[in-house]
Amino acid sequence: MLLWTARILRAHQARWKRAVHLSMTLIALAGTSSAQPITVQDAFDRSVSLPAPPQRIIPIFASNVEIVASLGLADRIVGIESYTRYPPEVLDRPLVGGRLGFSVDAVVGLQPDLVVVTPSRQAANQLIDPMERIGVPIMVLLQRSVPEILDNIRLMGRVAGVPERGEAVAARFQGRLDEVKRKVEGQSAPSAIMITGRLGNGLMLVAREGTYTGDAMILAGARFALQGTRTLAQVSPEAILNADPDVLLWAGSDRDLKQLIAQPGWADMRAVKSRRAHAVSRVELLIPGPRTIDGIEHLAAIFHP
Amino acid sequence: MKVWLGLAAMLLLAMVVAACAGNQWATPADLLRAVDGDQALRSRLLLDWRLPRVVAAAFVGALLGLGGTIYQGVFRTPLAEPYLLGSAGGAALGATVALLVPLAMPQSWLLPLLAFAGAWGATMLVIGISRVAGAVDAAGLLLAGVAVAAILGALRSFLMLALSDETVSLQVVLSWVLGGVQTPTWRGVALLVLITLACLALAHTLARRLDVLGLGETMAVAFGLDVPRFVMLAVLAGSVIVAAAVAFGGLVAFVGLASPHVARWLVGPLHRPLLPASALVGAIVVVLADAIARSALPPAEIPLGLVTAVAGGPFFILLLARRLRAS
Repeated sequence: MLLWTARILRAHQARWKRAVHLSMTLIALAGTSSAQPITVQDAFDRSVSLPAPPQRIIPIFASNVEIVASLGLADRIVGIESYTRYPPEVLDRPLVGGRLGFSVDAVVGLQPDLVVVTPSRQAANQLIDPMERIGVPIMVLLQRSVPEILDNIRLMGRVAGVPERGEAVAARFQGRLDEVKRKVEGQSAPSAIMITGRLGNGLMLVAREGTYTGDAMILAGARFALQGTRTLAQVSPEAILNADPDVLLWAGSDRDLKQLIAQPGWADMRAVKSRRAHAVSRVELLIPGPRTIDGIEHLAAIFHP
Repeated sequence: MKVWLGLAAMLLLAMVVAACAGNQWATPADLLRAVDGDQALRSRLLLDWRLPRVVAAAFVGALLGLGGTIYQGVFRTPLAEPYLLGSAGGAALGATVALLVPLAMPQSWLLPLLAFAGAWGATMLVIGISRVAGAVDAAGLLLAGVAVAAILGALRSFLMLALSDETVSLQVVLSWVLGGVQTPTWRGVALLVLITLACLALAHTLARRLDVLGLGETMAVAFGLDVPRFVMLAVLAGSVIVAAAVAFGGLVAFVGLASPHVARWLVGPLHRPLLPASALVGAIVVVLADAIARSALPPAEIPLGLVTAVAGGPFFILLLARRLRAS
């Protein structure tokens, strides 16, 4: 217990030393006095404290990179993971991980003052504990719904020391969502299924309730043709044929969609016969970032032409 | 004596190299500075993250070496390995629950606890089944172990499919199953050291009777050994040791199988020297394998169990071939 307390004290001491150091540099550099300590509550209910606005951010996953970039802070990004493809100006940053996991060494080597992760793949598991122990602030973001994505933008604005920018960006997106809502309100919602992937054993992954992708479909004015898909994301093609949705969506390329509906039996689906099978953008609907708003607008145009 | 000094020196060297190895290599001078209390981010990384992991890897390897030696002694087959009696399946199931089911306990405690409980519980189940079936001999235990492992494996697969979603991915469980030393806090390291020393002492008390059992069951009885009782006792001891290794190191393939053989070539078949020698060999192998796992494919980390199998396998085959040709 004593050892533990000592360690915490030591960590705090170091944090303060850095705070003082950083604030002095900031004052010297910019002449600003905005080096207030920042404390926010993250999605895991952890309190994340920064001595000053972060200047070296490592956002892990495409969505978090896009959120940081949407606030105009792309130049503060010092590291990314290997599946980040957007925006182009950050793609030359050093990699801290990829499909095989994330490296504590690589992250710390970049001397970040903020790491942002989402509990996907192994990021949260591999990084939260070591960063806490070493004393690098790490913030966790969840994205279970579209409003939560907007909240993440506001939270990122606060933690980065640009709260008003976060509010402005989120408000702009909220305005576009309100516009979509006005457009689809009162119209009858078509039943829809969005297939997000195919598994080796023939099963299909579909967008479900309780996820931001499912939420995007509802916000764009559709209803789920498949009910009760909360636990298992994978369903058999038979279940999709049985549900016979008004609209069939495939998150991927047109070519793969053609292949999908060329399977025996699929040509008889209502959505295929009435030419309402569409390919939709993966980056818009499977990355919970600012581009999801574009995706919702595109979906609304498909559901309510 | 020369063998022991050699092994100890190799372990020390391996640990220093491993502490320097990583995505970004450190020098021994960096290590000294970190131990000295330097507060730079990099020093804190070395002191609070890399060093405890290297030490933990050594002790996990030692436990696996001990467990493997005991199982090979009890079952009198060179193919016996520590995960034989269902402990791997049980540990994996426990870890899956810890990783995927939100329970009111910090995961850093829950994971080793449930892995230990799973590993030990599964072995107890295997022993219980073979007792009920009235086949408390090596063959009965092995068969019960295979059956229990199959059941537990299926349960784990179902849990993985049913409980994973966008926030807890399958990869988290999969990479645990493929092995990897959890980085403990220094307090955790102290606990692991104590546990390992206790296990070493426990194994030492079995050494002479394992030698006697090695002469064959008839001879062992003639020497006055209560064979069924001793088999049960040794299996119990082995299962505790393996469960402790699993709790701290996940499932590390191959080390428990190979270390006793390498140790036997070095110090001979008597268990008194064999047990500590096997622990040392296991420690060296896991420390080196963990260093490779952390630094071979930057910035990623390869699961430790894959490294021990892929790097250790050919090495073991080579040693075995030379050995067989010589005899």
